[in-house]
Amino acid sequence: MQVQHRWPGESRFHGWLYILPGLVIYLIFVFYPILETIRTSFYQWDGFSSNRTFIGLENYVSLINDSQFLQALLNNLTFIIFYSIIPILIGLALASLLGRRPMPGMTFFRAGLFLPQILSMVVVGVTWRWIFNPVFGPLNMGLRSLGLDALTQSWLGDFNLALPSVGSIGTWVQYGFCMILFLAGMQRIPEDQYEAAELDGANGLKQFLYITIPNLRAELGVALVTTMIAAMRVFDLVFVTTRGGPGDSTLVTGFLVYRSAFQQNRIGFAAAVATVMTVIIFVISVSILRLQSRAEEEK
Amino acid sequence: MKKLFPVFSVLLVFSLLLAACAKPTAAPATEIPQAATEPVEATEPAAETITLVVWDQFYRDVESQVMETLNAEFEASHPGVKIERVVKTLDDLKVTLKLALAQSDGPDVAQVNQGRSDMGAMVQADLLLPLNDYAAQYKWDERFSTSVASRNSFTPDGKTFGQGNLYGVSPTAEVVGVFYNKGLFEANGWEVPTTFDEFEALLAEIKAAGITPISFGSLDGWNAIHEFSAVQHILVTSEYINDFVYGVNNVSFDTPENQEAARIMQDWVDKGYFTDGFSGIGYDDSNKLFKAGEGAMTITGSWQVGEFLTDTDQTFGFFLLPSNEGNTRMAIGGVGIPFAIRKTTEHADLAAEYLDWMVSERAAELWFQTGTLPAMPLPASAVVEEGTLSTDALNAWNTINRENAVGHYIDWATPTFYDTIVAELQKLFGKTVTPEEFTAAVEVDYAAFLAGN
Repeated sequence: MQVQHRWPGESRFHGWLYILPGLVIYLIFVFYPILETIRTSFYQWDGFSSNRTFIGLENYVSLINDSQFLQALLNNLTFIIFYSIIPILIGLALASLLGRRPMPGMTFFRAGLFLPQILSMVVVGVTWRWIFNPVFGPLNMGLRSLGLDALTQSWLGDFNLALPSVGSIGTWVQYGFCMILFLAGMQRIPEDQYEAAELDGANGLKQFLYITIPNLRAELGVALVTTMIAAMRVFDLVFVTTRGGPGDSTLVTGFLVYRSAFQQNRIGFAAAVATVMTVIIFVISVSILRLQSRAEEEK
Repeated sequence: MKKLFPVFSVLLVFSLLLAACAKPTAAPATEIPQAATEPVEATEPAAETITLVVWDQFYRDVESQVMETLNAEFEASHPGVKIERVVKTLDDLKVTLKLALAQSDGPDVAQVNQGRSDMGAMVQADLLLPLNDYAAQYKWDERFSTSVASRNSFTPDGKTFGQGNLYGVSPTAEVVGVFYNKGLFEANGWEVPTTFDEFEALLAEIKAAGITPISFGSLDGWNAIHEFSAVQHILVTSEYINDFVYGVNNVSFDTPENQEAARIMQDWVDKGYFTDGFSGIGYDDSNKLFKAGEGAMTITGSWQVGEFLTDTDQTFGFFLLPSNEGNTRMAIGGVGIPFAIRKTTEHADLAAEYLDWMVSERAAELWFQTGTLPAMPLPASAVVEEGTLSTDALNAWNTINRENAVGHYIDWATPTFYDTIVAELQKLFGKTVTPEEFTAAVEVDYAAFLAGN
């Protein structure tokens, strides 16, 4: 559909004037740093001295051969399960429980279940670190009081459990956002669709699968994009809980950027990691949105 | 978000600097017109205020009070001088300081972490003032031995550690040893061991009594270095540790002694000498448990003395990890994070005077009172009570200082060494690698550094 770009008598210049303040802020604080990061990724630089050495693609070459980067990337991809897929499933389940039929205390449940989302990640991290503490953490204490001593673990210190443990904190934070998004989307679904389905004899599950899910396609796309971006750029949670350990088992690219840039003074390498991650996030987001709009057109 | 980190840190530094500069520039501006409109009133000429901006990392309560006291006394003895103190955690300081020192209005005095990735890199970038002349003027060599001064020294190109110019003076000293719970020791009739064999026998005895022998938590990573390296220090020679840390004489990490230390660590894990679930416990949490009486001993640095003296009903003592006969008795140790001066400061002489005050007898006395070891001698008048935890630690420091047995934090060795060894030690303690694989993996990092330097 063609939209008229200019109203009669209004110059194009006028329009630019309106967006100027926002544009200037965007260019200075977002666009320029991005370009600068990409430029830095072609240099060897310690971050503060005046001698930068142009080394072309060398940072990118060492990146591909860096087992830590590959491990970190793999961990980021694993985080998608915990940050994206599980929260969306939980969000859908909770939304369909809370959304359709009004029941007493609804606001309380909605607010309570959304609470993790509004907490600062550092607070969340510190709290869960305490919950996971093997000696005095509530999780192991609870298991012990139930006589399940065999199940007690060193949650954040175990090579196999650390990643799922940190990931499940991510799940706890993200599901509230998905739930609210789906609840909002479900308000839009006309009630008569459900009524018609019920007359045709569709049960609750069928109604959910054939009415709720297709109608929430837009919300699912948004939830998937935002939570996947969150999974790819996770930093704060790992920084507070495990600092990438034990070994490299919870190392993520965000933490690798921090470590390379500020602890090892390898700004160029860090910039290369950040650039690669930006590209990956961009590609993922665009493909999800493409898929979604294609599905929309088919409909 | 990631890409914005550098920008944010710059903004942060700028806003701090702006805040720091706001007062002195604003004050004279308002006074001048006043004097012009009221010439009759004989106001005393306002002395020009010099503001010395100091960044330190003594954020813990007791430490912070010492700094506040010293700063107040310095201001009192220097009319017209104002100390603008900015307190940061070490992590925060490490991230922001390099950028701040590169500014023409950065901090005049700051604590600069030793080692290549911090002080070395800053010397290389020409950000720090060489202190050799001030050292002679204030006779700092009478307070610090050469071995101590070399820890704050670099060649002017920032490449060779341990020699060349002096760039900082440290007010405090540190020694890594064994804290023990005196109550538990007395109740069970355990004695402070004098050889490493006795120490290991004691570990077995404590374990048999159903008590955790060594309170430990490796979740934060860094203190695992001390656990391993404390044992490493009583197996290797002091020449080796010096060569290794200063990167000279082409030594290797992949040695039988280091493998032996790694093997001992895994042996202790197998025998359950460390706190159950130690891999999931943070450093502060493991110390909290130790303070609460959980565990008979803990291996850490003397910086914990103050912490173990407050808010606890237990009594603690401190001893150096003993070596077997024939081995060097050496302990990880060193001097605390030194104060350094920004090269482009306008108040270099005043800053040096401030540094001298930070390592004065008065400072030594104040630090010792809080349970922190002073790097410089105590005044003759100082009261030292025998049998206390502070005195135990002071004696330990004096012993290794006298015997020239002050070891090193091995994570200074290369800029990436800290991250490498922390990750590899967690694997070692988690038993996913053998001692041989551990030393070989760490050697890769070290050899790459030697080759590139």
